[in-house]
Amino acid sequence: MGVWYVFRKTLGKPQFWFGFTMIVPLLIWYWIFSFGPIIQAFRMSTVAYKLLDPTNSPFVGLGNFLKIAQHPLFWVSVKNTLVWAVYSFVFHLPLAMLIAVLLSKVRRGRNTYQALIFIPVVVSLVAVSLLFKMIMDPEVGQLNKLFSTVGLPELQWLSSSSSALPTAVVIATWKGLGFFVVILTAGIINIPSELYDAALVDGTNEWQQFWRITLPLMAHTILLITVLLAIGSLQEFTLPTVLFGSEGGPGNSLFLYNMLIYQEAFLDIRFGTATAASLLQFAFILAISILQIKLIRPSWSY
Amino acid sequence: MAVIGRAEPARRRLPRRIMISQGLIHAFLLAMVVVAIFPFIWMIFASLKPFKELVESRALLPETWTLQNYEEILGRVNFFAAFRNSIVSAVSVTVVSVYTSSVMGYIFSKYRFVGKELLFTIVLSTMMVPFAVIMVPLYITIANSFGLADNLAGIIVTGFYTAFGIFLMRQFMESIPFELIDAARIDGASEWRIFFTLVLPMSMSPMSALAVFVYLVNWDSFLWPLIVLNSQDNQTLPLVLAGLRNLWWTRYEMWAAGSMLTVVPVMAIYSFASRYFIRGVAMTGMKG
Repeated sequence: MGVWYVFRKTLGKPQFWFGFTMIVPLLIWYWIFSFGPIIQAFRMSTVAYKLLDPTNSPFVGLGNFLKIAQHPLFWVSVKNTLVWAVYSFVFHLPLAMLIAVLLSKVRRGRNTYQALIFIPVVVSLVAVSLLFKMIMDPEVGQLNKLFSTVGLPELQWLSSSSSALPTAVVIATWKGLGFFVVILTAGIINIPSELYDAALVDGTNEWQQFWRITLPLMAHTILLITVLLAIGSLQEFTLPTVLFGSEGGPGNSLFLYNMLIYQEAFLDIRFGTATAASLLQFAFILAISILQIKLIRPSWSY
Repeated sequence: MAVIGRAEPARRRLPRRIMISQGLIHAFLLAMVVVAIFPFIWMIFASLKPFKELVESRALLPETWTLQNYEEILGRVNFFAAFRNSIVSAVSVTVVSVYTSSVMGYIFSKYRFVGKELLFTIVLSTMMVPFAVIMVPLYITIANSFGLADNLAGIIVTGFYTAFGIFLMRQFMESIPFELIDAARIDGASEWRIFFTLVLPMSMSPMSALAVFVYLVNWDSFLWPLIVLNSQDNQTLPLVLAGLRNLWWTRYEMWAAGSMLTVVPVMAIYSFASRYFIRGVAMTGMKG
């Protein structure tokens, strides 16, 4: 009896066969396309990868990590990426919050407004990049024509090394805002209206209601958005690449970390250093995710 | 009917203060809507202008209306192939991964087996790994082990399972009562039948939300297709569109025409399915 009996009994169950036939493909797939490559990445980061004879790649220990840190654009890309993340947070969150609060207060047409503000989210990011590159062209672009018509100074937008990065984040915000507006609006609408009624009875104004009710109750959603924004910003690739190609804009001012990894891996074909660079990114993202969750987690609840 | 209807505040009797504040809110939201859609309107007209006019004129509407740009671009670039590739890859990834997420969500929430929580944690932890970490080994796997370099299948098979989808569906399936499934078992329904005729129909709402989410991500996917697909006939829309930059350096009317060709079909779908898109995003936000 014992083990054999349990084994036979399990095999006889219809649940077993259903579960078995579903889990086995999952395991195989994850092994080939997910766990396998992750383990490979760790191995690859410690060797000087030979493209034609991978099994005989010489072991270099932490050499790849030292090498990537000495890449002439390593610190430039790190700095640019961190600045991008900060801008992204500052541009997205307050504006998305303001729109969401107003959407929750509006009496008619909320769904229509939401649907229209959401449009840039569904449109391809590549089309958006091209669109804004046209509009923001300093010589022939429509934006500078508009500015000169109303008497504002014409700006360089994406064409100067000092304004290219913030301008690109403005484009990213324009494209992504609707996504966060929808998440925030759904959260605000779900706050029980009794809380606001009680606050009204206590004689609070809308400003106080926002700071004392809406914001604290939205802490979890805001945290989620912050993490999503941070992780997204640190991996930004498409927008700067489409705007300027892999070289990263005027004076490398839009050369981001993921572009460095891409360049190492697929333009310079140095798989070892590229993977080492990506593992540094992994460690960093992991650290800030944990830090953010520890820092902002509210220690109380209603 | 009017007697039992929900008590709506009669609009005529709104206090003056509320009317003013509502008016201000509408004004602000309308401004945001203009900011969100005006660039597209500009693009529509830009694609219908000749190059000289686009560069020189300040007017929104073209003086000379022309379809020349579209003719030229469709003659040089195979947009139909790109469109087909995009649809084939985004739709197949969406269909397969929504199905696998539902099955795995069901099994992880309703089945008991050794190592279940461990397996779930491992699957979920892959979400934390940035794509850049696996892109090189994954490319080597796709290209060398499967021979799928420059093949659309290379960007499809990698999307068959999503850890996020499995997590989302498990969250939802937890709310399906065990009693319901046991009752079906007692009635003699097979596990397959229970899943397909009982569990799946109950899960339509999170499934459609997930489908929208997966579709949006894959339709817009850029980095992985850029690595895998090289020849223009195999590329998806984002890649072909990005290629216009090199093909027609600063010929903005061509960019506009190309962008229009990719934006219009998406807008057509969005115009009647926007509800599902927004509900999908709202739901993923709340579960995450």
